[in-house]
Amino acid sequence: MATYIIRRTLQSIPILFGVALVSFAIIQLAPGSPIDRFRTPNVRPETLENLIRLYGLDQPVHIQFVNWITAFVQFWNVEAWGYSLVDGRSVRDTLVDRMPATLLLGGTALLVTIIFAVPIGILAAVRQYSWADKAITTFATIGYAIPSFLLGLYIAYLGTVVFRGLFPGFGMVSLPGTEGRGTPLDVAWHMVLPVTSLAIQQIAGWSRYVRAKMLEVLNQDYVRTAKAKGLSAAKVTYKHALRNALIPVITLFGLTLPGLLSGAVITETIFSWPGLGLLGVTAVTQRDYPVVLAFVMVGGFGVVMGNLLADILYGVVDPRIKY
Amino acid sequence: MVSDTTAAEIERRRAEEAEAESADIDRTPVRTYWQLVRQRFLQHRLAVIAVIVLVILASYAIIVPTVTGDAWRTTQLFRDDAPPEVFAEDGEFTFAILGYNEYGQNLFARLGKATQTSLTIGLAAVIIIVVIGVFVGSIAGYVGGWVDNVLMRFVDIMLSLPGLFIILMITAFFGQGNVWVVVFAIGLTGWTTAARLVRAEFLSLREVDYVQAARALGASPQRIMLRHMLPPAMAPIVVAATLGIADSVVVESALSFLGFGIGRDSASLGTMLQNARDYFFSGPLKVVYPGVILILIVLSASFLGDGLRDALDPRQRVEK
Amino acid sequence: MTARHVGPLLEIKGIKTHFFTQDGVVKAVDDVTFEIGHGQTLGVVGESGCGKSITSLSVMRLIERPGKIVAGEIRLNGENLLDKTDADMRDIRGDQVSMIFQEPMTSLNPVFTCGDQIAEAVQQHTAVSRREAMDRAVEMLRVVGIPDPKRRAAEHPHQLSGGMRQRVMIAMALSTDPDLLIADEPTTALDVTIQAQILEVMRDLREKNRMAIMLITHDLGVVAEMADEVVVMYAGKVVERADVRTVFGSPHHPYTQGLLLSIPRLDERRERLEVIKGTVPSPLNLPEGCLFKRRCPHRMRVCDTAPPYQEVGSGHFSRCWLTPAGEAPDVGADAEGEEAQHAAEQLTVGAR
Repeated sequence: MATYIIRRTLQSIPILFGVALVSFAIIQLAPGSPIDRFRTPNVRPETLENLIRLYGLDQPVHIQFVNWITAFVQFWNVEAWGYSLVDGRSVRDTLVDRMPATLLLGGTALLVTIIFAVPIGILAAVRQYSWADKAITTFATIGYAIPSFLLGLYIAYLGTVVFRGLFPGFGMVSLPGTEGRGTPLDVAWHMVLPVTSLAIQQIAGWSRYVRAKMLEVLNQDYVRTAKAKGLSAAKVTYKHALRNALIPVITLFGLTLPGLLSGAVITETIFSWPGLGLLGVTAVTQRDYPVVLAFVMVGGFGVVMGNLLADILYGVVDPRIKY
Repeated sequence: MVSDTTAAEIERRRAEEAEAESADIDRTPVRTYWQLVRQRFLQHRLAVIAVIVLVILASYAIIVPTVTGDAWRTTQLFRDDAPPEVFAEDGEFTFAILGYNEYGQNLFARLGKATQTSLTIGLAAVIIIVVIGVFVGSIAGYVGGWVDNVLMRFVDIMLSLPGLFIILMITAFFGQGNVWVVVFAIGLTGWTTAARLVRAEFLSLREVDYVQAARALGASPQRIMLRHMLPPAMAPIVVAATLGIADSVVVESALSFLGFGIGRDSASLGTMLQNARDYFFSGPLKVVYPGVILILIVLSASFLGDGLRDALDPRQRVEK
Repeated sequence: MTARHVGPLLEIKGIKTHFFTQDGVVKAVDDVTFEIGHGQTLGVVGESGCGKSITSLSVMRLIERPGKIVAGEIRLNGENLLDKTDADMRDIRGDQVSMIFQEPMTSLNPVFTCGDQIAEAVQQHTAVSRREAMDRAVEMLRVVGIPDPKRRAAEHPHQLSGGMRQRVMIAMALSTDPDLLIADEPTTALDVTIQAQILEVMRDLREKNRMAIMLITHDLGVVAEMADEVVVMYAGKVVERADVRTVFGSPHHPYTQGLLLSIPRLDERRERLEVIKGTVPSPLNLPEGCLFKRRCPHRMRVCDTAPPYQEVGSGHFSRCWLTPAGEAPDVGADAEGEEAQHAAEQLTVGAR
């Protein structure tokens, strides 16, 4: 097991290197230069040259890349990920600051998703063709088909317009000067709409998957064996079938994890949730290259970690897999 | 035995036997592949409905912008947020079935234009996706070995990138508002699934007897790939492409909605939603129309994809 | 324990199990009658799709939608299983009647250990502690001839070979000392040498436990080795029934004859193996009259009317128009319609 984890971790290094290369290439290929923002009529050419030297832009591309990546891996240094071109803050510190908001939103949404999706997926499978199954399947199909930004938009609309501001559709805490600003209750109140829109989409996908896996498992020979033993329907379903059906659900967990880390770009933007996703979008708009690069790297790291964790969990729950 | 029966006798017996056999032979009719495909597809009720919906949407996207001309962007004075008005004062048909938006633009015409833009971008992006996907996938699957290894590691890297964010980056840095940049951004990031599919198909086809036979006969790799391996791999590609249209349309709308897609001076479902969002309180229906069309496109494309999969490639049928 | 019932252990009377599919009603089991005595082994033979597995699942009442047992009685020790509540049925399943399946590779749950799965059956039907149930599981693994049973009990099914898994299945089925074991193609998926070993285990345990076996198979060799009596099924119906000697020595029904001729034999020189021509009719498109007529070498006009189920010898029944001697019937091979119908009723023997 330990050797497997080490091997997989080592295997993920080239992937992350590739991620770095691709994102660096995109920025290099983009027309314009990072220092274009400083090119105003009153700026002196010497100042611009100093800036070019400061950012290492006078170096050949591959040297720039090597310099950037060697600095980047030293994440324990404040300056490792560079400084924002917009506010001059350490990029690493900015990302670390934004992380909790993203984790809070994504973690809550994931929790809500699991609490709802697993039971309704099982229900739909066990009572296949019943009205409950039809209702759940219809909900899941439509919920899955609605693009996440549209769902976010409609939920924001419901919360702020239809229910006349019953729930806030903006930010993480109330405006300055409001009583109780920043208390857990205030944050929870602000979380209702973004969590709902994230969770509905996830529940739709998860419940479909759980239902499909459960149906698949219920048709397996060993379920028939369990029935032939004289076990009750509940034991057959919840002991013999469910254990097997939930194993592949771990894949979904692995797929959801990167979203937890790099944030739900669209949902955070719609609800102005001050997480990593919103930071990334803002950075792209402002062409804040160091932040953009760091964001892509964190995103890639999330994907790699998600896959790794899913594989390890498989080994833990599925006795057929041995490393 | 045969010698002492006359030829006529044999003939008579044969006829009798043939009659008896035809009388109660298993009469399950034999169908050709395409008849079976059509039959299986027509059995998929939702897929048939999806085709009808898509035909209606496509006609809308083609006909309305053609007939109404510039109405989608013509700002009419004093018509901002005006209610539906089917006939103008001079009795002319205005096409303003859905009323006007906050700039006094004809919503029905604008929606037609937006549907056109979104579907066009979706189709164009899917073409890129299929071309790259088939190219990479077939080479990886056919050649195998280290080529396959390198290409698949590259696919792994592509899949580890935060997809939507990379598209945002490309559109933002390479010319915001340019339709072609949007198309290429979606196409260049979306081909991985298609490539994996084609690769898997080619890997298994490589071992099939008729491909081995073609190789033994000295057919060139190009010929083997194009004539012998691509046709049987078409079914999953067609299904993936259909589902890809839905994805591409959604990504385009999301981009435009976030302000990274095509510019505000053009109309796509995403820009219409973005506009409408700024006027949440004044005109809720403006959020509904483009949203409904978007959902219809996504649902229809996915049902069509399911139907095509069941019809073309019943092996892949999944219990949903 | 119910009072000892006099008479056969299992009596199946006229059961019909039909599947209501989109394309029509499939009569998978259509009016099947037979019985199994205490300690007896009955071989149920037929090609795939003839309804033999559905018959066995009907006995277990494990028919799932869209299937349904629409008529008949299944009496175990005189009690009709079709009248039992689901809860009562669960107490019978795995206790009085156990079943083993064709696919040992997939019939065991991959996430539980073999010992757990056997112990679960024991605990379900007897008031024992978990530890006692586990001990029983290990004991059963030893009985079915698994070396090092204690270690094997702690292993998961994927760690065992196919033959080993089938032994585990048998251990599970027999752990509750059932009166009847239904074995659905127990050796089909296994290598020939393993087949022989599994059959030996079953034979051994049958002697020890005085257990009846309903052995479902398409392999006549297995039947010859194991069975006391044989039922031959074709397209959902019993076409012939007799003790094993009669079936192999003087089969009456042309289908049975065809089956026997299609076995390769070492002691005879034959130019080529006889095969039954044609295929099993589609269950949605069954022929009128005799179901086998399209493939039958003795086909007569009278075969367009359903043949009688007649007694052609002592305890030997056949669903065919041929006389017990195997000749064209007295009613005239060309009889049609009511005349033939009447003759069929005259000849048909009722269920005993």
